[in-house]
Amino acid sequence: MRLFKTILAFAALLILINLLNNSQGSIPPLGKFLNPFAGFWQNGEKLDHMDEVLDVKGLRDEVQVVWDERHVPHIFAANTYDVYFAQGFLTARHRLWQMEFQTHVAAGRVSEIIGKKALEFDRMQRRRGLLMAAETTIQRMDEDHETHLILQAYANGVNTWIETLTPATLPMEYKLLNYEPEVWSTLKTALLLKFMAWDLTGRNSEMDLSIIQATLGEDFVNKYYPEDTPRTDPVIPAAKPWRFEAMEPDSIPPAFIPQFVQNLREGEPDEDNGSNNWAVSGDKTASGYPMLANDPHLGLKLPSIWYEVQLTTPDMNVYGASMPGAPAVIIGFNNDVAWGVTNAGSDVMDWFEIEFKDNSYTDYFYMDEWVKSDLRVEEIIIRDGETVLDSFPVTRFGPLVYFGEHKLGNGHPTGLAMRWSAHNPSNEMMAVRNMNLATNMETFYSAIEAFEAPGQNFAMISREGDIAIRHNGRYPLRGLDQGKFVRAGRDTIGEWEDWIPYDQLPAISNPWSGFVSSANQNPVGKKYPYYLGWDYDDYERGSRINDRLGDLKKIKFGDMQDLHMDNFNKQAELMLPFLLKQIDEESLSGDMDIIISDLHSWNYVSDPHEKAAWVYGQWWLRLEQAIWNDELTIFGETRKIPTRSVTARLLLKKPKLTYYDDITTTEKEGRTEIINQAFKQTVLELTDEFGPYGEAWELGRARGTDVNHLLSVKGLGRTGLYTGGGRGIVNATKKDHGPSWRMLVELGELPTAKGIFPGGQSGNPGSPYYDNAVDNWVAGKYYDLHFLDSTNIDLNSKLSLTRLRNYQ
Amino acid sequence: MINILVPLVIIFILQLTFYSWWWIILVPLALGFFEKDSAFKASAGTGLGVFLLWFGMAVYQWKNGGEIIVTRIAEVMGVGSGFILALATGLVGFVVAFIAGYAGFSLRKVLIKEYQIS
Repeated sequence: MRLFKTILAFAALLILINLLNNSQGSIPPLGKFLNPFAGFWQNGEKLDHMDEVLDVKGLRDEVQVVWDERHVPHIFAANTYDVYFAQGFLTARHRLWQMEFQTHVAAGRVSEIIGKKALEFDRMQRRRGLLMAAETTIQRMDEDHETHLILQAYANGVNTWIETLTPATLPMEYKLLNYEPEVWSTLKTALLLKFMAWDLTGRNSEMDLSIIQATLGEDFVNKYYPEDTPRTDPVIPAAKPWRFEAMEPDSIPPAFIPQFVQNLREGEPDEDNGSNNWAVSGDKTASGYPMLANDPHLGLKLPSIWYEVQLTTPDMNVYGASMPGAPAVIIGFNNDVAWGVTNAGSDVMDWFEIEFKDNSYTDYFYMDEWVKSDLRVEEIIIRDGETVLDSFPVTRFGPLVYFGEHKLGNGHPTGLAMRWSAHNPSNEMMAVRNMNLATNMETFYSAIEAFEAPGQNFAMISREGDIAIRHNGRYPLRGLDQGKFVRAGRDTIGEWEDWIPYDQLPAISNPWSGFVSSANQNPVGKKYPYYLGWDYDDYERGSRINDRLGDLKKIKFGDMQDLHMDNFNKQAELMLPFLLKQIDEESLSGDMDIIISDLHSWNYVSDPHEKAAWVYGQWWLRLEQAIWNDELTIFGETRKIPTRSVTARLLLKKPKLTYYDDITTTEKEGRTEIINQAFKQTVLELTDEFGPYGEAWELGRARGTDVNHLLSVKGLGRTGLYTGGGRGIVNATKKDHGPSWRMLVELGELPTAKGIFPGGQSGNPGSPYYDNAVDNWVAGKYYDLHFLDSTNIDLNSKLSLTRLRNYQ
Repeated sequence: MINILVPLVIIFILQLTFYSWWWIILVPLALGFFEKDSAFKASAGTGLGVFLLWFGMAVYQWKNGGEIIVTRIAEVMGVGSGFILALATGLVGFVVAFIAGYAGFSLRKVLIKEYQIS
């Protein structure tokens, strides 16, 4: 009996240990996690305080760090190595888990953390070649002595911080997911840069358009997916003459119907990834100094995507937003220049159907012969599971991302290869470093030449008074529509043969208008001799910014802030009066009368309290679906529908378009019917979801904004934020996406700047600096960005100093 | 009282130095093994000691800079407040130490009985 009790007690103990020492699904290992000596209880940070003096192994000289009231580190170092070492050290202090997790995502290593449920995600990341691209890129970066020094210094700083960690001081997410940080390497920074490139250029409509063309005809594609988005005011004014002799692509690929059908849009980055930037010359500002504004629109997460920092050495003083995991400042300013970026949107990713000899995928058909592919083998480590080896061929058209059972008519296996400019080795790190050092427009332009991927519209101002914008990046030389469809990867026709020369890229400086701007719209008018792509954002934001900048005089910070927060919905201004005219008021029921009345009186400003803004957006969405979803649901999936502006143009100009009819019903619907039906459907569905028409229908409540934790863990994010704005609006705030960093800079004798991002400096959910800026971001407020001078550190009550002493 | 204080003090020192939660298993197991008389003392004593230690330490962390993290984790874990979270922490410690203490005590009884027979 005693023995039985003993066995029972030990069995219970073992079961308990197993339960509490290991994660159970999404539940953390409670023994470790709740342990008040090392678990989450230790992650509280009342003041996020750092000692006044810290001995740091690996520094070459002493580094001074001034912490401002928002915990932005202003780093003063005696040399280049130390400044990036300190940046790595301090960024890791605040953001280590985020930095590492993001690089695991980029590298396709999430299964190592959460197990086999991430296997397919990891497999796709590997096949898309992010790790492959990072490996070749880091080789290129290491060839440049200075880039290598910067990356290694940063990595050393991160690793020195990691060495200071104890089980108690590990960031909370490691405890939640039950793993530990690994050594930081320079490859991880390259991975982060490639991930950024993927996030900004990884959208693919080629397969959809190929299928649409094959099903509905070439004419349909030409009409409804045009190169020139209606109403677009291009980034570079359309009237600008291009005084160079353009290269001609050798061949234009013929129409091709792929036999391998695959949804390429599965897992693609958010279609709303974009940004606004503009620069205004001193002629238009109250101070007489040039001003710059930027707000990159990205997925809103906690910890924030950006980390503010000032980096100072004897030859550099730069302030701005850095990416946790990469050295230097990505968007910011120094004494002489300020810059901001928007996503270029030009097409740098093409898909090719490849024919293979047999299931070994070692030989593919190219130029009438079988050519060897490189087989890449990826080892995907699975937590609590067996390691998976995944191999895929790499062709001259890029890695074969999709392949499997499908065979061509001749019995040969096939697959889809992805050619992506970011697969090419490049050195964006050097570009960023040189941007940070730039002293005028010329040195800035020279710096960004190395920023090949992702393509960005760089807007800049200089203390000398220049303003400029450049559609920067490395773009393949292509004929019209090349890259719009999947092509056959069987010969040189359609293959990328060259790049558009850098000095022939769209750019403009000091235009007569006194301003430059971009909002992800088409960068050029029809006169520009190269084909860059077609899938740009609609006209509304760019047009609104240009309208406002054209009108504004004696611009001050307040005007720039107002424009950042501008909620005017140009699309509604264009379409709502027309749509309301089509409404058959006799047929309305319930709250519909009041809603129509509110829509009539709405001033098109999508402020958070506006119910009409929410109703209009939902109505438009259902109207688009009513027009297109029937025709464009092909092979069981709804393909890419035409842009808002194309649909708007059709509604306004084509009263009898056949596509208004819902082909899935026997009735014949026309324009008026679908507009009325979409409205009624909207009201009924919103009533179901939000109850009777009232407060719950306000844009800020019905939609609002959620800034979730990267792991989407409830309780670690900020949800239900009362926000306005939306798609196609300058204030492009949406449900979980929007302005990730708002920055305004004026370059006078000394730079003056304001900025904010929806989060905080710390990545620790237990820190007061984790989400301290969120409410002010919602309110459209900004913080003064303190651009400190190394020779004049005024330690008032808002600032504190940490000395990082070199300790050998 | 001594049966509560001894595990509390020993584990406190060990956890301050070595962090691991395993001390709330090993120490009660050992103390239970050396407890000659009472299974209740071995299990409930160490259990209460660990409960007080973990609950007390959790409350200390919570009230010394841990308000934000505790509020967040309370939401993550679906419990109403930091106090309940601290109580849950103490209870986990209690259950583990209770069973470990009893297991240690039982083991001693089995081994000593077998030794006496042989």
